[in-house]
Amino acid sequence: MIYLMAWRNIWRNKIRSIIIMLSVVIGLFAGISVLALYNGMMKSRIRTVIEAEVGHLQIHHPEFKKDYEPVFVLKNGDEILKSIRLIPEIKYAAPRSVTQGMLSTATGSSGIQINGIIPELEYRTSQLQKKIIEGTGFSGNKKNEILIGKKLAVKMKLRTGSKLVLTFTDTSGNIVSGAFRVTGIYQSDNAPLDEKNAYVRMSDLNILLGTGNSFHEIALLLNKDKDLEKVQNRLKQKFPETLIESWKEISPETQLLVNTVDQYSYMIMFIIMLALAFGIVNTMLMAIIERTKEVGMMVALGMNRLRVFLLVLMETMFLTLAGTPFGLFLGWIVINYYNKNGLDFSGSGKEMMSSFGFGTMIYPEFPAERVFGVMMIVTGTALIACIFPAVKALRLQPVEALRR
Amino acid sequence: MNNTVIDAHNISKVYNPETIPVYAINNVHLHLEKGEFTALVGPSGSGKTTLLNLIGGLDKPDNGNIFINGIDITRLSANELINFRLHNIGFVFQSFNLIPVLTARENVEFIMLLQRIKKRNRENRITQLFKQIGLEDRINSRPAYLSGGQQQRVAVARALASKPQFVLADEPTANLDSKSASNLLDIMDKLNKEEGMTFIFSTHDPRVIERARRVITLVDGRISSDTAVVETSIPHHINS
Repeated sequence: MIYLMAWRNIWRNKIRSIIIMLSVVIGLFAGISVLALYNGMMKSRIRTVIEAEVGHLQIHHPEFKKDYEPVFVLKNGDEILKSIRLIPEIKYAAPRSVTQGMLSTATGSSGIQINGIIPELEYRTSQLQKKIIEGTGFSGNKKNEILIGKKLAVKMKLRTGSKLVLTFTDTSGNIVSGAFRVTGIYQSDNAPLDEKNAYVRMSDLNILLGTGNSFHEIALLLNKDKDLEKVQNRLKQKFPETLIESWKEISPETQLLVNTVDQYSYMIMFIIMLALAFGIVNTMLMAIIERTKEVGMMVALGMNRLRVFLLVLMETMFLTLAGTPFGLFLGWIVINYYNKNGLDFSGSGKEMMSSFGFGTMIYPEFPAERVFGVMMIVTGTALIACIFPAVKALRLQPVEALRR
Repeated sequence: MNNTVIDAHNISKVYNPETIPVYAINNVHLHLEKGEFTALVGPSGSGKTTLLNLIGGLDKPDNGNIFINGIDITRLSANELINFRLHNIGFVFQSFNLIPVLTARENVEFIMLLQRIKKRNRENRITQLFKQIGLEDRINSRPAYLSGGQQQRVAVARALASKPQFVLADEPTANLDSKSASNLLDIMDKLNKEEGMTFIFSTHDPRVIERARRVITLVDGRISSDTAVVETSIPHHINS
């Protein structure tokens, strides 16, 4: 009967209860929307990292990434490449020659990473072709062509057709240089990466490096994200002399960002609910003060303090939880709409968004896996909010309460 | 067989004991036996309600002891008192004090639920009580849809639901018209005569005093007179 009383009690002052319920609906909607937005941003960031930057997995010589010494090419790289193409979980595999060097023009120079690629394979693996915003990219047969990022192009005042010189050390430790012509400028969602990466044909780079047909890196794209660990373990067993890393290991900052944003989003949710808790405390306190005589009478008749506490707790729970399904539902509808149509942040500026590694179009995702966590926060809020009014009710002396 | 229900010795209740002491109850002795129909009368501020609160275990005396069925309730803790009240004392308040969100039936059942009485027994008791108060047709009405008289009859049913040792009624007819008051008194009179239920009223109402079989008059916190007003086999005790 306490549950029945609690439920009916919250409808004694309909307007007051509805206002609190609406505030829970709006608070929950806001919280869920923030979670969904962050969820969408993080998933988009992870997709960019996997599909446009590093792939799911990368294979290197174990020593290569320490100093990017060009001498540490993948042993039997061709054999490895042939072998992994037979693994059904792997969608694309692209070999790369990689070196650190200097890009120079008549007006200045900049340190960059030079990626020697096979364009046909790279275009599929890292969607490089889709990112070209100026020029045509690599043509069929011309030598020493280079693709540079927009940020680097702006910084070095380069355009398509501009000439530049790349300088780096070869496998023997000699400094070598090569003149390249800009045939394309690309722009990804990650401006810092655009500034530091340039793409040339692997064959052109290998001639300068003196690595022949060898390469330093194989980037792998899988059909499904969930196969990541399974494929990584299988490759580790198959090629024990290589270093096989997943995107989480290659780009730990992305994983850190995801975890941090995860915690932040819960904190935002917590702050919203904490603010709501004050409203709920106020409403419940008013309800108890208005019913002082009634509560005193119930204690006089023999209702013990545990039951009084339970009554206040149930009322607070109902008041808080009644709006929860509506808040979640409203969130679900709005998030699903924007999940399909996208939320355009171009007003914030592409430059600004890409400087953090995000695109301007964000597709929020309803955080279904966090609904339980959100419910726990809401329940916790109700529990916290009920304490003060419950203490007030428990302190009532029946004689004094009945006198009112 | 000992028929004593209430035995209060030398009880006093003082307000503001450290500044200007006001004796709400001053050295009162009270003895009530099973089946009494007693009215506590006296002018406003004479201590009627305070005395009812003390023997009802809602308040504690500053001096003296109150034995109910042989148990000294002045020695019980707050939680023990709540439980004691639930099982031993029925209350009827001046302003009815029904729980507004519960129906008449639920108000009566509420007490039995607190007592953890089984559903079948609750159902039987509710049927019997509503028959006794003559409100079978309003059993599912909420208090707001009942007249003052009807609400007070439900309050009597609620007080009796727990099968208490006695019922304390604080000015039960004060907010009722004469017809409703008469109706309520008939019901309580009948319950007293047929079931032997002990009733103690505080009242100003001559209609109640007229029906009482013992009238205790309080003046300035003391019992000034204690009179048996009709022929009864119940012995009475004169305190001064």
